[in-house]
Amino acid sequence: MELANIEKIVAFVGALVVFFFACVGLRGEWHKTGLDDNVTKLLLGLMAFGCVLVVLACFGVLPHGGAA
Amino acid sequence: MAASITAHGGVHDDGHDHGHDEIIYQETRDMRLMGFVLFLGTDVVLFSSYIFAYIYLRNSIPMWPPGPPVVPAQLPRLDTAFAAFNSVVLFGSGVTMHYALEHWKHANRGRFNLFMALTIILGLGFLGGQAYEYAHAQIGGWNGNTFGASFFTLTGMHGIHVFIGVCFLIALWIQTRAGVYTQQRFFGLTAGTLYWHFVDVIWVVLFFLFYLW
Repeated sequence: MELANIEKIVAFVGALVVFFFACVGLRGEWHKTGLDDNVTKLLLGLMAFGCVLVVLACFGVLPHGGAA
Repeated sequence: MAASITAHGGVHDDGHDHGHDEIIYQETRDMRLMGFVLFLGTDVVLFSSYIFAYIYLRNSIPMWPPGPPVVPAQLPRLDTAFAAFNSVVLFGSGVTMHYALEHWKHANRGRFNLFMALTIILGLGFLGGQAYEYAHAQIGGWNGNTFGASFFTLTGMHGIHVFIGVCFLIALWIQTRAGVYTQQRFFGLTAGTLYWHFVDVIWVVLFFLFYLW
């Protein structure tokens, strides 16, 4: 198996795990209303979005996501 | 007044007026938090300037990465697979930092130490991955063409932020072991977590711009 494929598989699995725990963390923060809590919610949400981008890149869904 | 504020935001308590101490702490904490969020805002402006310059450069050339006649030979695309792997390393460190702070709030020192260690290791791993990528990227160096210049400037600036973040986290960890913070008063840890999340989110944008667009 090519190194690029191994990297993609590890990235895919890692992205799923990180996305799950980011969502769990986001859920825990959801009811909090402080400034730091709201900023944390925003940043955790964007980080979860980053995991979605990684998954899309692993499957080559985005225009150049599959290019090595 | 029976209390004085220390450099790191703790309050020396003489044991006479806890309510007043708490009010002082909350007021200074709120002000410092607002200041820190504004600092992150200035960093957003800094990165935005470079990002929009990159978008302008990219759109001013018909082919991207540049090819002839802009450069002698067609430049290859960056290694998306490795970047995806390295991105997960950084995003993972953001999650571990979040849980480190949560365990601190719940007085679970053992798990706090574990997650702090994981965060620092993953942050260093990301920096190592970036160094590996710099060594193997065939895009002409930082001063060879607009693509290389944009890539090394933006990712380099981000890498410096990550490096500073790792130093910040190590300093915070040392402070926690020295007893600087308590379960009620831990503004430094909150600031460190926000900074680390911010660094992660900047990478989301850079990952999209350089590897997926």
